[in-house]
Amino acid sequence: MKPAEIDKEKLLSIIEAYRNKKWGLIPLLQAIQEEFGYVPPVAVESVADAMKMYPSHVQGVITFYAGFSTEPKGRCVLKVCRGTACHVKGGKSILRMIQKDLGLKEGETSIDYQFTLETAACLGACFVAPAMMVNRDYFGKLSPPKVTSVLEQYRKDKGDN
Amino acid sequence: MKTITLTINGEHVSCTEGSSLLEAAQGHGIKIPTLCHHHSLKPVGACRMCLVEDEKTGRIIASCVTPAAQKMSVLTESPRVLKHRRNIVRLMMAEHPESCIICSKGNRCSLRQYAAELGIGETGLYPIPNYRNIEQANPFIQRDLTKCILCGKCIRADHELVVTGAIDYNMRGFDSRPSTLFDRPLEKSTCTFCGTCLSICPTGALSPVSIFVGTPEKEKLSFCGFCGVGCRLSLGISDNQVVEVNPAHIKKSVNDAALCVRGHFGHDFLNVKQRMTKPMIKKDGSLSSVSWAEAIELVADRLTQIKDKHGPDSIAFLGSSKCANEENYLFQKLARIGFKTNNIDNGGYISGRLMLDLIDTRTDPGRRFNFFAGTLSGLEMAEVIFIAGADPSHSIPVAGYYLKRSVKNGTPVIVADPRKTEMAGLASVWLRLKPGSDLELINALSALIYRKNVYADSFIKRFTRGFEKYSESLSSYDLDRAARITGISIQEMERAADLLVGKKIAFMVGDGIIKNRYGMETGEAFLNLALMTGSIGYGGAGFHFPAKENNQVGAWDMGTVPDKLPGRQPLNDSLSRTSWEKLWGGEIPHEVGLDLCGMIEAAEQAKLKALYIMGENPLRSLPDRQRVLNALEKIDFIVVQDILNNETSKLADAVLPGAAFCEKKGTFTNMEGRLRSVSAVVEPPGDAKSDFEIIGLVAEKCGHTSLKCSVESIREELSKRIPMYEKGRSNFHPVWIKEAIDSDPAEEDDRERLISFSQVVTADEEEADKEYLFTAIIGSKRCHLGSGTRTGYSPRIKAFNFSDAIEISEQDSKDFGISDGNKVRLVSRNGAIEREVCVKKNIGRGMVFVPAAFNGNDAGLLIRLTKLFDSTSEGWNCCPVKLEKI
Repeated sequence: MKPAEIDKEKLLSIIEAYRNKKWGLIPLLQAIQEEFGYVPPVAVESVADAMKMYPSHVQGVITFYAGFSTEPKGRCVLKVCRGTACHVKGGKSILRMIQKDLGLKEGETSIDYQFTLETAACLGACFVAPAMMVNRDYFGKLSPPKVTSVLEQYRKDKGDN
Repeated sequence: MKTITLTINGEHVSCTEGSSLLEAAQGHGIKIPTLCHHHSLKPVGACRMCLVEDEKTGRIIASCVTPAAQKMSVLTESPRVLKHRRNIVRLMMAEHPESCIICSKGNRCSLRQYAAELGIGETGLYPIPNYRNIEQANPFIQRDLTKCILCGKCIRADHELVVTGAIDYNMRGFDSRPSTLFDRPLEKSTCTFCGTCLSICPTGALSPVSIFVGTPEKEKLSFCGFCGVGCRLSLGISDNQVVEVNPAHIKKSVNDAALCVRGHFGHDFLNVKQRMTKPMIKKDGSLSSVSWAEAIELVADRLTQIKDKHGPDSIAFLGSSKCANEENYLFQKLARIGFKTNNIDNGGYISGRLMLDLIDTRTDPGRRFNFFAGTLSGLEMAEVIFIAGADPSHSIPVAGYYLKRSVKNGTPVIVADPRKTEMAGLASVWLRLKPGSDLELINALSALIYRKNVYADSFIKRFTRGFEKYSESLSSYDLDRAARITGISIQEMERAADLLVGKKIAFMVGDGIIKNRYGMETGEAFLNLALMTGSIGYGGAGFHFPAKENNQVGAWDMGTVPDKLPGRQPLNDSLSRTSWEKLWGGEIPHEVGLDLCGMIEAAEQAKLKALYIMGENPLRSLPDRQRVLNALEKIDFIVVQDILNNETSKLADAVLPGAAFCEKKGTFTNMEGRLRSVSAVVEPPGDAKSDFEIIGLVAEKCGHTSLKCSVESIREELSKRIPMYEKGRSNFHPVWIKEAIDSDPAEEDDRERLISFSQVVTADEEEADKEYLFTAIIGSKRCHLGSGTRTGYSPRIKAFNFSDAIEISEQDSKDFGISDGNKVRLVSRNGAIEREVCVKKNIGRGMVFVPAAFNGNDAGLLIRLTKLFDSTSEGWNCCPVKLEKI
């Protein structure tokens, strides 16, 4: 399966909205990532033109921040916490379990572009450790049954959104 | 500016406010090691090598980014500083591969030098080199980013000096490296291969691809032999050969740390086997080597015979815009005094001498020394820049960097060009006019400014005359007609006029005007516009003409022209003539001689019997090769004095091997009017001699012993007789205007110096050509200079395979069913060429762009040879063509 095609018109309209705005680069890249799930490489030159920057410079900013991705991600992006509290509470086993369930390693995306598995240094939700995020939702006090049900829920939700 | 005093290593030093600690130390000869610092780049404090200790606070600070403060006290070599510095170098060495033994940077590597100075042989750390692939597919720059220390000098040089933006930091932390967009190889990026990055790189991460391996035996300063910018070079020499070229990195020099692809890699022609090494004469139809004595004797005998038999005007001399001032001076002296003819010109005819002449004659009626616009650095303080018919990023790249820096600093730029050149893409207003309609555009802009009533009134009153008459014709000027001819709407012209209003303009006027039809009329129109806006005589305003050859201005100054004596003094002015006659001890003929085109015409009519060519290749550089060839074949005796075997030298009856710019003594004058003095850093190859010496030998053999002299004596003569070549004289500005502005009120004698406005001349409205639907624009690409004789011989330039493809627009490619890579025949009324096609966005419908200098400069075949600046000339820059797919 291929990732969804980039809607060029949509992309250009996002870029146009930020043209000539001072300090607009990072908000613009965020807006693009919000729309497409990642910053498609085809966007780099148009972004550079709108921001009056060099394309190489724009690329430098994108690759500097871990928050920006130049590769398409799955519909659901899982961020499993590797923080100390989560570690103590068995976060490592949770991660292993998710890896097994999805058949993905860290940083990988499933071939049907449904799931991307990532880890984070700390999600800042230590009081509900072990924790993970799926897109923008937090899931805490994870246990194997809870993980299974969360994943099941997202598998079911397919197509909504 | 306020002075600050502080203490460095216990020594009291002073510096100006705003200087960094590093600058304060360097100003007093205190050395602080640096890796990421360069005097022409903004400091970033990336490498931390320049750490110093603040004695009062005990803080360790980076001196390159810390401003010096009053009563500060710092130590540059304290034990703490040294400990930190050692650790920094140890860490860098641990990440560095152990390939120093085969690294061509060798002892010039700063990292290695500091490691040695700090005594770091073993780092004592676990080595973790960050291995990367070595990129060496292109013939210019080898990138081995394993050796990169992330100082960012290449990136900053690219952004701040060259303003190209081909590279920037990519990724973060350990993975961080300078990279092109999408990490493509350099040849697939926007890189122009100027090589500025590789000369500024402190380690071996960037190095030139070269057949020479290692460190040159010595490095000598010189000046670039290509275009009129005249960059300062540092030539690396081994075994009497120039094996490496780098910018000289001299503060306030025209190029400082920057250079272009030609300057950096094109000098390979110095060592090619096509260099002339032995004098040759034609025997039984082919050239064969002879001794100098035999060759000189033949040349002298034949020239004297022809002069005696057919008269002095049966001989013509073609001097060189690439040879030194002294050589050109001696050459025209030989023509005028030795052979009593003014039939002398130089290759500058092809690249804009007539325009220089026009502006000079019109602004400088009283033979005062001036130059039109001052230094190129003035462009960076210009109020507004107007670029017309010029593509400086390609024709004179280093001057192009100045323009791009101005744009970056916010200077408004107007570009008038049919093509979207690099500068047009960056400009505030791009006037996309129809090819060859510049005259109407300039008139229209003048009319618009006049009607806005904001012209430089006091300047006009004080320094010009004839404004009333000129303004009358402006007020009745038909703007609609101009809009029709130029294809630019009145609103668009208004936008440009609004930018120009009330400002002093810096003009960059190029081939699109100089070599086009109505060249003279357009030149006059530009001058009118400049006078009306008061854009002459101030720093950062006035005319820049991209000089394609390193001594185009000098050859003209030296009188290597048919109508002027040295110092741009008119031949028909009896006062200046007699003064030169007195000095030279002989009579100078009165009649204006033949110019380059005139020589070809005279040869066709069999009036020209002998031609002495020094350092020019007219058969390649002139349009209409077949006609030039036929003409040259009719000449009884041709002498070619050159450095490379070329198209013209094959026709010669005698060939005299000369010396290139770095193999001889002399001075060159760059396009700013700066005098550059060069000395021989290598010997000429084989038996070749300096051109100065050869002219002396020929003159001596002809019986003009006074011409056999030293370069120094000529230099002395020049500095005494030509005001603008006086020692220590800076001839940047039209001096009288500047002086007059400085010394209010107006002096009496200003009256006769007034510059007059010329009348508005309009171009004829033309009907579209029914048969030849396209307009071909001929222009240069940055890899080649002029007609490409020298750059065409440079192995690395050849190896890159720069595209010679004819550029056409997307619409035309669709309409005519031609796509990228198709071969086409381009047919003009004069000739035809065949090339591949490349579809480009930067060109409009109905136009094709033909890069010159490729394939033996075959682009010239399309053009009819006519006298430039003649009212009937069609110009050499563009012509109607049709496109045939093959």
